[in-house]
Amino acid sequence: MSSRRVLTLARRVMRQVLRDRRTAALLVFGPMLILTLGAILFRSKPAAIPLGVVNEDQGLTSPVMGAVVLGQRITDELAASDAFAVVALSRHEVDDRLRDGTVQGVIVFSEDFTAHFLENRQAVLDLRLEGSNPARSMAITARVTEAAMRTLASLAGTGFGVPGAPQVREGEAALPVSVQATYLFGGEEFDTIDFVAPVYIALLAMFFVFLLACVAFLRERSQGTMERLAATPATRVEIVLGYMLGLGLFALIQVAVILFFTVWVLEIHYLGSLGLLFLVIALLAVVGVNLGILASAFARNEFQVLQFLPLVIFPQILLGGTFWAVSDLPGYLQPFAYLMPLYYANRALRDVMLKGWGLVEIWPNLAILIGIAGVLIVMSALMMRREVA
Amino acid sequence: MTTDAILETNELHKHFGSIHAVDGLNLSVGCGEIYGLIGPNGSGKTTLIRLLIGLLRPTSGSIRLLGEVVPNKAILAQVGYMTQASALYEDLTVCENIAFFAEMCGKHDRAWIDEVIELVDLQDRSRSLVRALSGGLRQRTSLACALAHRPRLLLLDEPTVGVDPQLRATFWSYFRRLAETGVTLIVSSHVMDEAERCDRLGFMRQGKLLAEGSAAKLRSQTGTSTLEEAFLHFAAGSVKGDLR
Repeated sequence: MSSRRVLTLARRVMRQVLRDRRTAALLVFGPMLILTLGAILFRSKPAAIPLGVVNEDQGLTSPVMGAVVLGQRITDELAASDAFAVVALSRHEVDDRLRDGTVQGVIVFSEDFTAHFLENRQAVLDLRLEGSNPARSMAITARVTEAAMRTLASLAGTGFGVPGAPQVREGEAALPVSVQATYLFGGEEFDTIDFVAPVYIALLAMFFVFLLACVAFLRERSQGTMERLAATPATRVEIVLGYMLGLGLFALIQVAVILFFTVWVLEIHYLGSLGLLFLVIALLAVVGVNLGILASAFARNEFQVLQFLPLVIFPQILLGGTFWAVSDLPGYLQPFAYLMPLYYANRALRDVMLKGWGLVEIWPNLAILIGIAGVLIVMSALMMRREVA
Repeated sequence: MTTDAILETNELHKHFGSIHAVDGLNLSVGCGEIYGLIGPNGSGKTTLIRLLIGLLRPTSGSIRLLGEVVPNKAILAQVGYMTQASALYEDLTVCENIAFFAEMCGKHDRAWIDEVIELVDLQDRSRSLVRALSGGLRQRTSLACALAHRPRLLLLDEPTVGVDPQLRATFWSYFRRLAETGVTLIVSSHVMDEAERCDRLGFMRQGKLLAEGSAAKLRSQTGTSTLEEAFLHFAAGSVKGDLR
C-alpha cells in the first residue's frame, strides 16, 4: 500500500473531472437550479380558484334582522377569501363554464336555500365540480364548507339562524353544513393517481426515447458511423425520420405495456379513445427523439448525457403542469410552461383519459405539439449539417 | 486531362484556419486505375479523401466524381468509402453491418454480400457482434461494408492499417481484381511497399502533390532504387523549394 500511488491516482481523477468543466459546473449549478424551481413551486401561493356562484336564493325576512339572503351572505364570505375568485353565473351557463375550465366549481343556491335552512337547521350546498383534479375538488369542497360555517357562525345569536346548538337527530352529522357534490368529470372515486398517471405515462415515453436517441446519436459520432452514413446517399431528413420511426415504435410498445398495467392492474380510471392516446404519445416520442438528437450535439460522452436531465427533463416535470397547475405558477414562470412540450401533452392526455374527450376537443393541444415536433425535426436536421451534406 | 476520368480535381484547396491541408491539387484518375496517395501522417490524404466524397467543402477549386460535380448525394450510391479507423455498429453482427450499408446505398444483393464476406474471409465470424472482434477483423468488416453495394469507385483511407502481412497481400490481390473489372480505387497509405502495387502514385506532402507517376517512373526520375528514397528525394527538393 503506497499512499503516494493513491494520491497520484486521486490527483489524476480530480484533474479529469476539472478538465471536463461543464460537468464540474453542472454538478454544482444543476441541483441549485432544480432546488430553486422546487422552492418557488412549493412556496408559491396557489392562484385564486375561479368559482362560479348561481344565486337564486329568495331569502327570508326575520323579525330581528330584516331580510336575510343566506346565499348572498355565503357568496360574500367566499368572495372575501383569497382562495376563490368568485364569478356570478346563471344556471344554464354552469356546465359550459365547468367544461371550458373558466370555473372549476360552481355553488348553486336554489330559491328556497334560506327557507330550507331555517326549516331544517341544515344548509345543504349544491356544489358542482369540474372533477378531473381530485386534489383541487377536495380543496374546493373544504374551503366552501368552511366559508359557509363562518357565515352561519356570524349569524348565531342574532335571533336568525342558529339560536342554540343545531338540533341533532339520531345518526346525523352535527355540522349545520353539508355538501352535495356532483362532478362533471370523474367523481369522488377519482384520486390523485388518476390525475397524475396520464402525465406519468407521457413523461416516461418522452424520457425514454430522449435518452435512447441521445446515446445512439452520440455513439454514431464516436464510433465513426455518422461519417460512414454521411458517405451514403442518405440525407439528414432521412436519418432523422429513420431514428424517429425506429425509436418511436419502442416508445409506443412501452406505453402499451404501461397502459395495460395502469388500467387493469392499478385500476386507473381511463375513459377516452385508445387511438387518440397513442397519437399523443407518438407525437411526444417524436419530440423526445429530436430533443435527444439536438442534445447529443452538446455531449461528448454518455456521462454528459446525464447532465441534460436537470436541464431538459426536470423543468418539464416541474413546469409542465404535472403536479402544479400552470395557473398556480408565479407569473414569471408561466411563459416557460408554455414552451414545454410536456405541458400540451399533459393537457391532451388528461382530457382524453379523465374527461373522455375526443379529437374535436383536444385538437388545439395536438396542433401545438405537432408544431413543436416539426420545429424540432427541422432543428435536429440542421444540427447535422456539420456532418451530413 | 482525359474526358473519361472517373475522378478529377481542379486547383483544389482546403484551409483550416492557417493550415493548408490541401493546397492546390490537380488530380485525374481514370477508369479501372489503382491510384495510391502516398505521404506521411498529416500530409492531407484524409482531408483529400473527405473532400472527394463531399464530407468537407473545399475552400476553393472543384471536384468531379463519375462525371458529376461534388457534392452530389446520388453518386454516393456508386462510391465505396472506408475510413481510417473502422466505423461499424458495435452491437450489430458483421453480416448486419454489411447489409445495412448496402441497403443505405440502395442495393441489397444477398449473394453479393455473401461473396464479399467470403472475400474478406469472415465466413466463420459473420454472425459475431462487431464488439467481439479484434482490430484486424474489424478492418476486414469495414472493407466489406465499403464493397457491399458494388461501387464503381472506392476511396480507401489507409485500408491496411492493423492488418497482418498475409491478409494485406490478400487485400491487394483483391484490389487488383476489382480494378480489372473496371472499379477505380484511390488508396491512401504511408507504407511504401503498398505503393509498389498501385498503377500510379501521388506523393503528398503538406497538402501538395510532390510528384506523380508509376512507381518505376518515380524511381527512374530520381535515380533511386526504392520508392522510399524517391519520396525523400522529392521531399528534400520541396524543402529547398520552400527555402528559395
